[in-house]
Amino acid sequence: MENTKKKYLPWLYCLPSFLLIGAIVLFPILYTGYISFTNMNLYHWQDYTFIGIDNYVRALGKVDSGFLSALATTLLWTLVNMVLDVAIAYVLAVGLNTDGLRAKRIYKTLLVFPWAMPAYVSILVWRVGMFNTEFGLLNKIVTSLGFDKVDFLSRNVPAFISCMVLNLWMSLPYMIVMIDGGLQSIDKSMYESAVLDGANPWQKSIYITVPSLKKIMAPIVIMTTFTMFKQFDILYLLTMQKGAVSGSTLQTIITYAHQNAFVSNNYGLSSAVSMVIFVIIILFSLWTNTAAVPERKGK
Amino acid sequence: MKHTLRKKFYLIFLNIFYTMICLLALVPILYVFLLSISSGGGALLTGSLGALTLENYRKIIVEEPFLTWLFNSVILSVGTMLLAMGTSISASYAFSRFHFKGKNKAMWFLLLLNAFPQILSMFAIFRLFRLMNLLDSHLGLVFVYAGSMCIFGIWNMKGYFDSIPIEIEEAAKIDGSGNLQLILKIIMPLARPAIIVTGVMILIFVWNEYLFATTFMLREESYTLAGGLYQLQANDYSRSWPLFSAAAILVSVPILIIFFCIQKHMVSGLTAGGVKG
Repeated sequence: MENTKKKYLPWLYCLPSFLLIGAIVLFPILYTGYISFTNMNLYHWQDYTFIGIDNYVRALGKVDSGFLSALATTLLWTLVNMVLDVAIAYVLAVGLNTDGLRAKRIYKTLLVFPWAMPAYVSILVWRVGMFNTEFGLLNKIVTSLGFDKVDFLSRNVPAFISCMVLNLWMSLPYMIVMIDGGLQSIDKSMYESAVLDGANPWQKSIYITVPSLKKIMAPIVIMTTFTMFKQFDILYLLTMQKGAVSGSTLQTIITYAHQNAFVSNNYGLSSAVSMVIFVIIILFSLWTNTAAVPERKGK
Repeated sequence: MKHTLRKKFYLIFLNIFYTMICLLALVPILYVFLLSISSGGGALLTGSLGALTLENYRKIIVEEPFLTWLFNSVILSVGTMLLAMGTSISASYAFSRFHFKGKNKAMWFLLLLNAFPQILSMFAIFRLFRLMNLLDSHLGLVFVYAGSMCIFGIWNMKGYFDSIPIEIEEAAKIDGSGNLQLILKIIMPLARPAIIVTGVMILIFVWNEYLFATTFMLREESYTLAGGLYQLQANDYSRSWPLFSAAAILVSVPILIIFFCIQKHMVSGLTAGGVKG
């Protein structure tokens, strides 16, 4: 009696949250999978029929469906942003921890502002205040230097770079705070003995700071990678929001799926794309799982 | 001597460098603030601000349904926080303290579910909610938000619970406390940083969410602040940016205040105590 109670007790504790997650997260994913095999769209809202894997063939098979280029854009986006995010945050955090930098606290507080601002507010503010051809600060600077106005968001490459700059502006504070926290937990005596051995700052960085940070930062870096991969708001609000379409044809797989579901109302195709994205995420998780999860096992 | 001089120059250089970085971080925010207290959108074109005024703030509060939106935001974010925290605290306690079959698999599965972008299942949820008559209701949105933040809560707090020595609980157990009592009287006070940070993160998430808020809420008076503000700038063809800026500042201020209040807990609360903040 006591034993069976012990066996079910943990699941009882988890039950409320599992019910919630099952209804809101798991079931809709399964339902999306179901829709992906039908021709559901605006004209077939109730009387949809099963069409097998046609949607998948259309998304993956046709090069001009836009999915493959969206996938390439997403991978490039995730890679470039992650590298820059971690590298810049590392340099800034290490600099902040220089001995004798008394204003460190002030800098840290001010740098956190972009993180604390609501994301959609930041994005809209950048769209108007920075990138806009008429009002934008960037164009004011460009024209005052004697150059022609730049339309940052209308062509793909400038739009990609603009989105990236904004993304880094929004995500760097978090990374800086986390790396800064990690730096505090490194044993200072290691640096002292390194100095005695005649190590220069560069060597200290490579042989002490980076390896010590690796363990602490791994889960944070992986989580951030997922966030970058999932990033939707920036590209959507900067270039394709209703009434403010900028002209660039840049798509990530997430905006591509959203566009198909809520703009062209092709729910079947959109669901198929969503399921493909899910498979990519599973593969990525399996790959990082071996690298990161053992660190967090705990008890 | 030469060495200290070099060090001094280095520090001066660093101070200039970080002042510039901070300026870069703050320029867009300051620009919006200036816009919000300027009179008329024309100021943007000429570069001069015109007379300073609080007129935009008055307009947004009086002429737009700002207070209704604020009320909705508060209801939704507090409701979501209570539901998500209530369900995830007990689950993360179970994951942290009990040994049971399938525990690691369940944790991994949750992480996987969390990696699925919620926007992609939005259409499926929309269809389901239409069937169940949950569209255009606060309750429906609270469920959506709580469901999507629950996993974050479980993972984040489980990590912190792990770092609390189990001996403390064992002592209390000998004194005859049950598991629920343990959670309320021992774990919750000890895990305060993690619980506060997780709760605030959920609160901020709901406060800032606009996509579900505008897709699932069909009437203007049921919008949240984020949804209302989003619609304001999407529908308003006159594009009154000073008005929008004033609204943006009003929406951000509560979040900024809460954020800076819990800043000292932020690092330890988000990294499971593995990092000293």
